[in-house]
Amino acid sequence: MEDASRLMERVRARDADAFEVLYDEYHRLVYGLAVRVLSDAAAAEDVTQAVFLKIWSDPALFRGGNFGAWIARVARNRAFDVLRSRTAHAESALSQALPVDDALEDTALARIDGERVREALAGLPREQREPIELGFFGGASQEQIARQTGLPLGTVKTRIRSGLRKLRTVLTGAVTA
Amino acid sequence: MMSHDELLDNIAAYALGQLSPAEAESVVRHMQTCEQCLEEYRFLRPAVTAVAYSAESVADVSPLLKARVMRHVRAEARRSRPQIWPAYALAAACLAIAIFTGLANLSLNDRLNGDRAQAVAQLNRDRAQSAAQAQTIADLSASDSQRHRFARGEVVTHGTHLYIALRDLPAPPEGHVYQAWTLPKASKTMAPSVTFEPSESGATVVRLPEAATAVVAVAVSVEPEGGSKQPTTKPIALVRI
Repeated sequence: MEDASRLMERVRARDADAFEVLYDEYHRLVYGLAVRVLSDAAAAEDVTQAVFLKIWSDPALFRGGNFGAWIARVARNRAFDVLRSRTAHAESALSQALPVDDALEDTALARIDGERVREALAGLPREQREPIELGFFGGASQEQIARQTGLPLGTVKTRIRSGLRKLRTVLTGAVTA
Repeated sequence: MMSHDELLDNIAAYALGQLSPAEAESVVRHMQTCEQCLEEYRFLRPAVTAVAYSAESVADVSPLLKARVMRHVRAEARRSRPQIWPAYALAAACLAIAIFTGLANLSLNDRLNGDRAQAVAQLNRDRAQSAAQAQTIADLSASDSQRHRFARGEVVTHGTHLYIALRDLPAPPEGHVYQAWTLPKASKTMAPSVTFEPSESGATVVRLPEAATAVVAVAVSVEPEGGSKQPTTKPIALVRI
């Protein structure tokens, strides 16, 4: 596939074919993420449609960097917006938006495949994997995870950091292998 | 007071999107002065993206969803595309007419005064102008030119060449002109570029002297004749490129 940044340049020039290539490449990521956050296939379709139409209507929102990381952030934030809109008091229970500084993200893992990540995550010790998934897909803060698990907050923080470091190391090895 | 190890743990929480805005701001401030934490963030962030990819759907997503999205996109693309190309065609036709008229005048002048040296100088000027016009048409028509659309037209770059194309630009108020502005890379203030009048053809195409590779944004505003050093009116166009 043509590089996503170049495709986005074509989208800025209103090239629908370039947009379709991006849709084909990334819609499973957006939809899958939305399903995981919302546990609702119909709502996940709405999120997917909203995310891609937003990209088409305002392509300047993407300012370069890792497109996969960027669209995943947009999709996750949108899915949490939907969750917030469903429950009046849910906001305090949900995590804040992911950081916006995509430029800091290198492209070493830019083309990672979902199956490989699932294997790598499954390979983490449960006590590291679960708080990472609760935080990312469940929007739980570290304090909430500590309360749920009965673990000290410091332990939760350290496990999340260690898990992410291990995941990064395993995946970088998988990419370079 | 947090230990540095605790701060590093907070970097992970920040990367995972688990911090409140106030906590996130505090982490960002810390990373501005702590290379170790910034490096930790750079290391962890792709792992967070990878977590997102773990949710990538393995099942087929409804083709109806794609049909809905693409129907909207293609309809919008069809509506927007014709607006600018006729403008360019018109601009190209106007340039061709200008070239023809120039050459015809040269021939007439040559016959009338017989001043060969003046005719040669005029011919050279026309040749230079024709070459510039041909370059403009080639740049605007190139398939690899980059187009950045806005409501009244688009900014086009081709290599280092930088153009702004506007359609149906009204005449500026008496004593005023349009002025282009560019935002150089790593600068926070707009730099003045050329002033220009709208073309009567309906399509105004202006070549900016700045190298396209050296600027990150282009703007146009109405300014007093002679131009300004800083924009004095709200820009009618502001385009990030």
